[in-house]
Amino acid sequence: MYAINNVHLHINQGEFTALVGPSGSGKTTLLNLIGGLDRPDEGRIEINGIDITAMSANQLIDFRLQNIGFVFQSFNLIPVLTAKENVAFIMQLQGMDKKVREERINTLFKQIGLEDKMDSRPSQLSGGQQQRVAVARALASKPQFVLADEPTANLDTASASNLLDIMALLNREENITFLFSTHDARVIERARRVITLVDGRITSDTAKVDTHEH
Amino acid sequence: MIFRIAWRNIWRNKIRSLVIMLSVAIGLFAGIAVLALYKGMMNSRVRTVIYAESGHIQIHHREFRKDYEAQYTLGLPAKSLNDLRKDPAVRFMAIRTITQGMLATTTGSAGVQINGIDRAMENKVSGLAQKIREGKEFDPHKKNQVLIGKKLADKMKLKPGGKLILTFTDADDNLISAAFRVAAIYQSENTPMDERNVYVQQTELNQLLNLGTEAHEIALILQQDAMTLATARRLQQQYPALLVEPWQNLSPETELMIDTVDITSYIIIGIILFALAFGIVNTMLMAILERTQEIGVMMALGMNRLRLFLLVFLETVLLTLIGTPLGLGIAWIVTTYYNRHGLNLENMGKEMMGSFGFSTLIYPEFPAEKLVAIMGIVLFTALASCIYPAIKALQLQPIEALRK
Repeated sequence: MYAINNVHLHINQGEFTALVGPSGSGKTTLLNLIGGLDRPDEGRIEINGIDITAMSANQLIDFRLQNIGFVFQSFNLIPVLTAKENVAFIMQLQGMDKKVREERINTLFKQIGLEDKMDSRPSQLSGGQQQRVAVARALASKPQFVLADEPTANLDTASASNLLDIMALLNREENITFLFSTHDARVIERARRVITLVDGRITSDTAKVDTHEH
Repeated sequence: MIFRIAWRNIWRNKIRSLVIMLSVAIGLFAGIAVLALYKGMMNSRVRTVIYAESGHIQIHHREFRKDYEAQYTLGLPAKSLNDLRKDPAVRFMAIRTITQGMLATTTGSAGVQINGIDRAMENKVSGLAQKIREGKEFDPHKKNQVLIGKKLADKMKLKPGGKLILTFTDADDNLISAAFRVAAIYQSENTPMDERNVYVQQTELNQLLNLGTEAHEIALILQQDAMTLATARRLQQQYPALLVEPWQNLSPETELMIDTVDITSYIIIGIILFALAFGIVNTMLMAILERTQEIGVMMALGMNRLRLFLLVFLETVLLTLIGTPLGLGIAWIVTTYYNRHGLNLENMGKEMMGSFGFSTLIYPEFPAEKLVAIMGIVLFTALASCIYPAIKALQLQPIEALRK
């Protein structure tokens, strides 16, 4: 039995793509493979021409740090850091200059509409607010693309809609690729490309708009 | 940033962290208390050796201490003795005549060292007068008086006024026996010494030994303890024909005891911290288990293994070090109190401590000179304690950790 089987996929720069399918179809597995969190038993994964399946564990960590942003279903903010510190986390791991970092943080918090919550701990934020901070964290270092696994699953309608607006805006303004794993119809509706997985295989791949090459 | 996360992480479970910090504090206090007690005991022993037994330095004929034969006298003229008395490093000086002999009474006999002393000089150097428990010092109007130790007096069933015979060999190898009467019974902190040493007037002993004005031993009390070795070296150069020895040579068992106690103290602290390490390891393992998903997130976001190790290491070190000043503080307060008031260990065995030459009233001393070594041991404990939890954290795969 295969979690992913015979999947051939090409994602372009700037796409806003949703992976859909029933539970157990392999959406999260595919996302984890693309994100370098898991390794395929067979096959290759290339990002900007770089074969990540040939990388060591340490190389993958560095690659993720520089190129990939993650948004998790259960937010997964670091609880002992404030919202601002959570967003700064990746930039500090990268060794970004403090002034540049501060500017980026301010811009992001403005974009997500949480300027007054920068010094709040995750426990002081609502689910929607936490997820917005998680999106800001994912985008903080201007990654090549963002992988979001069921980002709206734990959010109410208003929060989910708000979050999607933000991600769509950032996708348009910063041309960052977004790849979602989702059951949420609101996400599927916003996506410009929908890839359907069933039992580890792609059964359909529908693009709603053209995007330029990755 | 890693430091910030580590610092905040240890306060996530305040009670658990405080328990560990308190354990470290108590363990450290216990270890330092032991060190302080040992230091106090050793200081007390050294003071006893110097001020109640041998003095800082002793001078003998080179052959004398081999068999204590009467013919091996110092041979120093009066001028040399005077120069020595006036040496700037010398505070007090005692000149003694010494012979080995037998003490016999109607109830039995015992081997003793017979010390011929000048009362005034001897009291300044060894404080003999303060040790008298029964009777009085030498009466200038009486002859052949002897001071004996309490242990010996009890063994020989002697009291002040009691009679005994001292038998020894003189300078010409003649066997001499003389009757003495007990003037006083003394008691020091060193029971074996009390059993071995009797004191008579030097002039009387010299007469019996046929020595004239000669003597066998000079004992010196210096102005400061720290002058001992340098002064001994200097005096040895001044009197090359004689043997000048510091107390460390005269009481090698004391020097050995000090070295042994030092090592023992470190071992005790090491054992205490080793036991504590298990608590620290357990706490850190629990913390990592509780934060498996969080660690997975950090690794997914790009925190490499080195930083993760540093995070676990910092948390462990902070957990260990925070309790350290508390332990040091309590130890300092307690040892300072007892250093001023003394710690009476009489109930722990006065006889037993006396048999090793220890006073029962100890003045513990805070081992400030050992603090660097103690901190090194604490840091090492922290480092050793973090290794296993760090390995468990580093073995986590992000994908599996995220699923927790």
